[in-house]
Amino acid sequence: MSGPREGRLARGWRLLGGDPLCAAGAVMLVLLVLAGAFGPLLPIGDPIKIGAGPRLSPPSLALPLGTDELGRSHLPRLVGGILETFLLSGAAVLLTGVIGVFIGILAAYLRGATDGIIARFADLLFAFPPIILGLLVVSLAGPGTLAVITVITAATLPLFIRAVRSVALGVAAREFVTAAEVAGASPLRIMAVHLLPNIAGAAIVQLTYALSIGMLIESGLSFLGLGSQPPNPSLGSLLQLGATYMSIAPWLVFPAGIVLALAILSVNLVGDGLRDALDPIEGRRLT
Amino acid sequence: MRLLVHIAARVGMALLTMFGVSLIVFIAMRLLPGGFEMIILGPIQTEEARALITQRFGLDRSLPEQFLAWLGAVLGGDFGISMITQTSIADEILRRSQATVQLAAMAIVTALGVGLPLGVAAGLADSSRVVRTGGRLAGALGASTPDFVLGVALVYVFSVWSLGLTVGGYVPFFEDPLVNLRAMVLPASTLSVFGIALILRTTRESVLTVMTEGYITSAVARGDRPASIVRRHVLRNASLPVLTVATMYLSLLLGGAVIVEILFTVPGVGLYTWNALLNRDYGVTQSAALLFSGVIVTCNMLVDIAYALLDPRIRERRGQ
Repeated sequence: MSGPREGRLARGWRLLGGDPLCAAGAVMLVLLVLAGAFGPLLPIGDPIKIGAGPRLSPPSLALPLGTDELGRSHLPRLVGGILETFLLSGAAVLLTGVIGVFIGILAAYLRGATDGIIARFADLLFAFPPIILGLLVVSLAGPGTLAVITVITAATLPLFIRAVRSVALGVAAREFVTAAEVAGASPLRIMAVHLLPNIAGAAIVQLTYALSIGMLIESGLSFLGLGSQPPNPSLGSLLQLGATYMSIAPWLVFPAGIVLALAILSVNLVGDGLRDALDPIEGRRLT
Repeated sequence: MRLLVHIAARVGMALLTMFGVSLIVFIAMRLLPGGFEMIILGPIQTEEARALITQRFGLDRSLPEQFLAWLGAVLGGDFGISMITQTSIADEILRRSQATVQLAAMAIVTALGVGLPLGVAAGLADSSRVVRTGGRLAGALGASTPDFVLGVALVYVFSVWSLGLTVGGYVPFFEDPLVNLRAMVLPASTLSVFGIALILRTTRESVLTVMTEGYITSAVARGDRPASIVRRHVLRNASLPVLTVATMYLSLLLGGAVIVEILFTVPGVGLYTWNALLNRDYGVTQSAALLFSGVIVTCNMLVDIAYALLDPRIRERRGQ
């Protein structure tokens, strides 16, 4: 760890503390992740047990969020849905991050033909109509986890590659990279030791945005019945079900909708805060 | 001249991308389990019936042959007929694109009309803590609410209190503008919230970035009036990123907002494509994929060219 980098990170954390929105987002995010991760262990009932109560019964003490059309308790299903949404979109976005950072750095450092091929590849992915992409992947892989992860990765990858590439282009033109080249460092070493740490901040910010897009896609696919399959709950499929019974059982649709919007909001707020704190250009403001 | 070469290169690249998308969609459609002949015949089917269908629709020819035949027809302006409804694909898409284009137009006008002024105001008044927090929160909130959550909430609210608006009940605008607008306001608002947030965020950040530039400092030092600084320097320089995301948003809208079309029963292109994919209606899917990717690459290309036209610095750099 060299001096200036540590300094930048430390300054970032200090700025984060002074940012109420980012702090609120972080608290919400932590609470939701904890609820998703440990909620299923709490004695709140079985998410897939049919007939835990009467069908479509309103919220009560025993069943705090009421029951769905099969008499399943809604609260454990909601908690399970949070886990499903975070897990699937998180896994997909990690995949995007690993592939995107690798390809983006490669394109920015090697330039020339490699860069051209990667740019065309990103264009092609970007020009793929989202609906058609989603349904084709789902039909090929079958609805479920694998399809959801593939669709999210394919949809977020082009944006991520472009962002990494443009930041890495700027870093690759800096003096210390030239100095390392003159000193005889191999391209692999330059990419791993000099470029990677310097684009890490930007990549993390882009990843939070990719995560929020991923959560939108995951819940959208589940809403259309193409995501996680019954009996496993997902926020999107809970919403779809809730929308069906909206006029007679409104308690099903609103908790799922609000939790989903809050989950995505918390990720976006943290992303905004991180960018303001880590990105030195955005940090320079007229105040 | 240099600009012309640049444009020609971009057009070539766009056509290549569209070709790539068509080819991938063609191959993927044929790889799908349960081809057209399986779907149309239902659960009880014989070998002979399947053979008859594949022969009738030319599905027994080799794949390269089928693709080239389709490509040739499209290049000649013939999109063929839907295998399911036996009607002209071009006519159907043209008829349905009325609803999609109207929805997209209403959504983007609302997004720009609300997002731009708010974004500029938030960017200029950033020194106020309330404005800064409010602007960021509004942007994040709008970008975080999925269209189907908002749509479901609106359907719920307006099925209880109609307020003169209807959920569903679409008729073409030129048949009855009033009934049309009453049915289109809700889906358009649903779609526009994300756009408002997108435009607000981008405008705000873009204004903030421009405000740190040296030429703003010099204009202030020259004693220019604030209103004239904003008009001549800030807005002009902040407009390019806004143009980019607005175009991206537009291509997203034109690509078919399937969920909103389903929720509010708007007979747009998205719904048509969706059903075609489910029914393995190869011709319709391919035409729609070509159309949507065409919209996306055209929008990207226009932004690129607009950049070159609007920003002399980029022109200079390209010239070197």
